[in-house]
Amino acid sequence: MKILRNKAILIAIKNVKDKMRHWQYIFFSLGFPIMFTIMFYFIFGIEETPSGFTYFDFGFSGMIMYAIGLGTMNAAISFAGERNSGMLTRLDTMPTGRKNIFLGALISESLFLMFQIVIMFLMGYVILGLYFKGLLELFFGFLVAMLFGISSVGLGIIIASMSKNVQVANAFSLVVFMILIFLSGSLVPFESPIVYFTPPYWAKQIYLQLTIFGDGLNNNLYSSTFIGSSAKLIPIPIWGGLLIVLGYTTVFIFLGVIIFQKKTKF
Amino acid sequence: MSSDDNSVIIEIKNLKKHFKEVNAVDGISLNIRKGELFSILGPNGAGKTTLTRMLTTILTPTSGDATIKGFSILKNKDDIVRIIGVCPQDITIYDILRAEENVEFVASMHGMSKKDAREKTKKILGEFGIAGRKDWSKHFSGGMQRRLNLAMALVFEPEILFLDEPTAGLDPQARRLVWDFIGDLKRKDTTIILMTHDMVEAELLSDRIAIIDQGKIIAQGTPTELKEMYGSDNVLEISFFEQEHLELVKEKIAKISFITHWKEIDKDGNKSLLISFYGGLKNLISIIQQGFTGSIDNVEDLKFRQNSLEDVFLNLTGRRLRD
Repeated sequence: MKILRNKAILIAIKNVKDKMRHWQYIFFSLGFPIMFTIMFYFIFGIEETPSGFTYFDFGFSGMIMYAIGLGTMNAAISFAGERNSGMLTRLDTMPTGRKNIFLGALISESLFLMFQIVIMFLMGYVILGLYFKGLLELFFGFLVAMLFGISSVGLGIIIASMSKNVQVANAFSLVVFMILIFLSGSLVPFESPIVYFTPPYWAKQIYLQLTIFGDGLNNNLYSSTFIGSSAKLIPIPIWGGLLIVLGYTTVFIFLGVIIFQKKTKF
Repeated sequence: MSSDDNSVIIEIKNLKKHFKEVNAVDGISLNIRKGELFSILGPNGAGKTTLTRMLTTILTPTSGDATIKGFSILKNKDDIVRIIGVCPQDITIYDILRAEENVEFVASMHGMSKKDAREKTKKILGEFGIAGRKDWSKHFSGGMQRRLNLAMALVFEPEILFLDEPTAGLDPQARRLVWDFIGDLKRKDTTIILMTHDMVEAELLSDRIAIIDQGKIIAQGTPTELKEMYGSDNVLEISFFEQEHLELVKEKIAKISFITHWKEIDKDGNKSLLISFYGGLKNLISIIQQGFTGSIDNVEDLKFRQNSLEDVFLNLTGRRLRD
């Protein structure tokens, strides 16, 4: 298996081992969103909306983005830790290459994201029996969630670059992440133009319309999670929203790599 | 030795690194030969780590250049990292990984096959006495972590090895183990650059030594050459209650023929005199008789010892290596 000897893959394997051996990390990444999901389910779950779905059928998309968005913090902690432990410098004295370090980190974070999404799917759709249109739609929803997750990794790298140590990266990323999640209306939906400036809004809205309504790429997006009386269609179709998420992802990853390189190469 | 000498493997040319107002490395030029163990000896903050970081391509010099096996540290970083092993001063390991996972990971980064990486890892961990440990490295003692730190630099058998204070914090037994291992590497023709402030280590292991202080090389040579150049067989270190007493003794000993050097040392306002001289006990008694006649009560403390690299440093700078 030659591919397994690829340096980026070896770094990814090492990162995954590292993650899986921190129970606090596992709890924070998986336990925390699961806890929130159960809590929100019992608070809002049973009540039906005028459209026939339960509130939580709609709310779950926000929970997914919340869980995945934690990747921002995970990546920030991971990169800040690597830099502060001196391992990044040590890797620089080996024929590793920064390209492989970034690629390895991206692979391991993506693997973990997949794991997170699968756990959330099992929790929401299998255990709590939430509604989804079909498996194909769910798969597209999965891809959107992944894309958003990768943008969170990029944001995490930017935060790690600007933080002096792991503790600062942890606190800073938590603040940024919680602000983004709340302003996007992912946890508590609200109507405001500000939501359009946050990546989680677009990811959550696309995911919701794909998995609940089975909307196509040309359908327009709604202004909020609870597609009820107050929600309006906005003049941006799902494909436009996808481009916005893709744009955020590209910019965050690109900026993350550039800033991290600048701050760690002397 | 000229730069085109075939045996030169590292050539440092007027290397400088300035951080704002601090000249951490201030125009160092050196040639290091293939297969030699070259020590850079200096106190903390002398510029040893900065020099290592530049030579290992982590840090870009402010000016100057160095070549390692003909590769420039400015232009050929990728070629250099393939042939060097680096053991950093701070323990730099993945503490959540096991010892063999850490070492195998480094071996893999150097392109070793899985089988080779596993075999070499097993061998080196056995030699360092940490084979068979299945717990995570964070549970190791400080000494074991330091040995692991070193094992990670050696697993791929580099041609050139940079060791930055490799025995700092080790107990005497572990220190001896590391010294033996370095000795073995030397016999295998590995070029070793040892950064240390431990004069015993430098004297015991080195073929040649450069003494560095405030970013500059202040002396270089073999341990014997250095001791001959900046000292004699023995050293007498005397501290006085009053400065005037020191001056008095200086005048008296000026004419003694077997005294080769003397130097005033000032530490926290207390002056002492370092006297290097040839010969043994007979000459010591002679110095005391001639230099301290009627004034022995003015002597606060008197130390007699064999000349060491510490004394060379004292003679050169007026400070101790550990000051």
